[in-house]
Amino acid sequence: MAAPAQTSLLELFIARATEAAAKVDRVRRSGVELRNAVARATEGARSLVIADGEFLSAEFFTVLRSLPGVIAKPTDDQLATTDAGVTEAFAGVARTGSICIAMGPPLRATSSLLMPLHVALLPAERIVSRPRELFALDGIGAEALGRNLVFVTGPSATADMGPLVRGVHGPHRLHILVVE
Amino acid sequence: MAAPATPANQLDTPRAVANKRDKRTLLRAIRMALGIESAAVRRNTQTFNRNRYREAAALADYDALKDEARAIKERAIAGLPDLLLTLEGAVRARGGQFYLASTAADACRYILGVCQAHSARLVVKGKSITSEEIRLNHMLQGAGIEVAESDLAEFILQVADEQPSHNVAPAMHYSTERISALFKQKFETSEPLETGEELTKFARERLRQKFLTADIGFTGANLIAADTGTLMLVESEGNIRMSSLLPPVHISLAGVEKVIPARSEMGVFLELLALSFNGKLTSYTSFISPPLEDPSFALAGRPRKKREFHLVLIDNGRMKMRQDPVLQEALYCIRCSACMNSCANFQTVGGHAFGGEAYSGGIGGSWEAGTGALENARFSDLCTGCSRCVNNCPVRIDIPWLNESLRDRLNQKSAGSPMATLLGLASAAASRDRRASAQKIFFGNYHWFAAMGSRLSGLSNGLLKNQAARSALEALVGVDRRRELPPFPARTLVRAAGEAPAARPGGTRAKAVLFADVYTNYGLPERGLAALKILRALGADVVISAAVPEGRAALSQGMIATAKKHARRAAATLRPFLEDGRDVIVVEPSALAMFRRDFRHLLLDAALSERLRAHSFEAVEYVARLLEESGRAAADVFDVARSPVGPRLFYHPHCQQKTLGCAEPTEKLLREIGFDVATSGVECCGMAGSFGYKKEYFTLSMAVADDLFGQVQAAEAVSAGGPRALVASGTSCTEQLHSGLGRPVLHPLELLAGSLRV
Repeated sequence: MAAPAQTSLLELFIARATEAAAKVDRVRRSGVELRNAVARATEGARSLVIADGEFLSAEFFTVLRSLPGVIAKPTDDQLATTDAGVTEAFAGVARTGSICIAMGPPLRATSSLLMPLHVALLPAERIVSRPRELFALDGIGAEALGRNLVFVTGPSATADMGPLVRGVHGPHRLHILVVE
Repeated sequence: MAAPATPANQLDTPRAVANKRDKRTLLRAIRMALGIESAAVRRNTQTFNRNRYREAAALADYDALKDEARAIKERAIAGLPDLLLTLEGAVRARGGQFYLASTAADACRYILGVCQAHSARLVVKGKSITSEEIRLNHMLQGAGIEVAESDLAEFILQVADEQPSHNVAPAMHYSTERISALFKQKFETSEPLETGEELTKFARERLRQKFLTADIGFTGANLIAADTGTLMLVESEGNIRMSSLLPPVHISLAGVEKVIPARSEMGVFLELLALSFNGKLTSYTSFISPPLEDPSFALAGRPRKKREFHLVLIDNGRMKMRQDPVLQEALYCIRCSACMNSCANFQTVGGHAFGGEAYSGGIGGSWEAGTGALENARFSDLCTGCSRCVNNCPVRIDIPWLNESLRDRLNQKSAGSPMATLLGLASAAASRDRRASAQKIFFGNYHWFAAMGSRLSGLSNGLLKNQAARSALEALVGVDRRRELPPFPARTLVRAAGEAPAARPGGTRAKAVLFADVYTNYGLPERGLAALKILRALGADVVISAAVPEGRAALSQGMIATAKKHARRAAATLRPFLEDGRDVIVVEPSALAMFRRDFRHLLLDAALSERLRAHSFEAVEYVARLLEESGRAAADVFDVARSPVGPRLFYHPHCQQKTLGCAEPTEKLLREIGFDVATSGVECCGMAGSFGYKKEYFTLSMAVADDLFGQVQAAEAVSAGGPRALVASGTSCTEQLHSGLGRPVLHPLELLAGSLRV
């Protein structure tokens, strides 16, 4: 169980991420639950790509790879046309409803960018209060040192054509599964 | 209200009026912007601005963040040469290339060299205003290389062949309807091109293939950390992520001022920049230290290339700006756009009028001057010094001061004229400032003309009503003849105050001096008399100073030497009162802003400047303080039932008064007394001191005022309870409201004096 402080961070995170047009679900930390949640989140996607994780158990990713439609070792041509990408998040930021993706491991960058649907798995204990904590020299900031990070807040969007339109060059939909 | 008469097809294109070296081009650009772009610019800037105010108010440590950011930037610019060496080491250690270009041409040459080394045919490009500064697209396309702008705003501008009008949303001057018309004209397609969704989809699909097949990805950088070579890249669409991730070669171009010491300092800027985007972060903010580990992209059997990264930093005048005591501050800018969004003139015309070839808005003049020629900053004339940007700048740049200084330098480049020399000599302008135009000398030394006019008020008031005299005034010093000029009062404030009743014994023990500012003394003395009446009714020992200019008028014309002269004279006039333990009470907010904000630039005596800053008060603010100190309720002293204009008010605070935090006390006091107050939400009325009186800016001034007039109308709708009395705290705001709505306008002091219970 998360500590009470973590619970309110989680609630704030969910509220803000939802305001930023991400869809957020809470999932229990088990292979079966996670598999079911990803299956629901990617419903309708004919193909998906899953990047390796670091913080959630490697077993979970083995389980996820058994989902139908998963392309285990995608070519670039496949990456360019896949429907959904699944990545683990390095951190969540409560105040802004952002997830932070650490690029580097294979497919992490592409599977959070090239597909119309991005599903992010966020370990609940990795939610911090505000963006600058990722730059602190201790705690999660120290873990972030030397990594290439991208803060993702909602799906890609533009207002350049007048009204706010979601879904430009990056994912049109962002679905965050908070793993508790 | 002041709709321009020129048909759209006879207006200039934005490109034709991008460089505003001469004033005629600036005026053509204003005409174009008012005719075509104003509505979209207004809607977009005001939305940005509203969101920013909301989020900044909710940010508990906003001021601390600003201080931190300012300190980091100060340190960075001071130590820039060393930081560049550190950064070069960090980039090379990671296997990247580092190039420090001295000029725009140098940067272009290097980038072209990289493209040619890779036999590049297609460069996909993320938004970079710095690339506009060096005209990169023009150069690459000239060399036969296709450039695909992938930020949708830049895509629109590329299709339209226009320069950016805003540094965050470069095509914010385009409405959906205009984009639709543009695309239909430029592209042959059967796809629907009407809605924002359709237009976005059309551009997205065209650009997708560009990302996947580009030889080179090009981006700018919002900040760069010297210790790790980390780039901070802020965007919402995903185009910068695509450009930096997919092609094998990534070139990033940035000005040297974007370098800060450490990656760990980037978090502060991330949080501050969020205020420019709804308080949320943009969809994507990347912190990458290229070259990336990920393999580059290779479609359809194309060979997978090894990654390459080139960081191109440009000087192009920046190192000289660094040595310039004034322009140095512009190097702290993080291009957040808060200054332009909070600027009433910018909100009305946007960056194609209030901007140059690459940079726009209040901060843009310094950038155009610093990276090009001083004359390119001519558009900074549209900064009225209203100061609304000042509290919004996340790195606390004193943008009005930068523009006043640019104006000063431009005055020195002006040819001068016999009329200017004559007026300058007569009104004792500093010799350096006699090169300024006759118009600037007239407004900058207005106190002298006002004193003359006032001495001969019978004659001058007759002349002000005479059409021939007004035509002459317009021809000689550019005072628009459509502006009604208020008559000179028979007695100035200083004369009338000599006959005012003295303080009543008892009550407060406050000692104060009322500063007889030029506008109150020669224009609206009843405001000053009302201040004396109220303060004395509260028992304050209040005297009046001599009427001297404090330098605002000269400063706003860029006549800094004259402004210094005036500032010293005003400080010397007030010094004995300060030494006598008196607070300085000011009616005209622009004069108060001189004491509180601007004197630090003008007075040599820093201790006196600080003393004046700490002991000067806006008159109503002071009344509220006295009430609070004496523990008396406002309603015990004032009676709303005695109000000469009834209880329903529309109050328009002065722009500088708002920046100083002196608007709230007036609103609060009026409400405590029982007035029903609707307050204007505009940044500035458009008159802004002399601005709206100038014949070349009359139309713009009235267009700016449309928002204010609209708000009055809304507050007076039947559903909102009907008519309200107009109340304003500034002289020029009073004139603007009076001329636009044809109704009397009171100062809060007059209202309060009329509502005294005694």
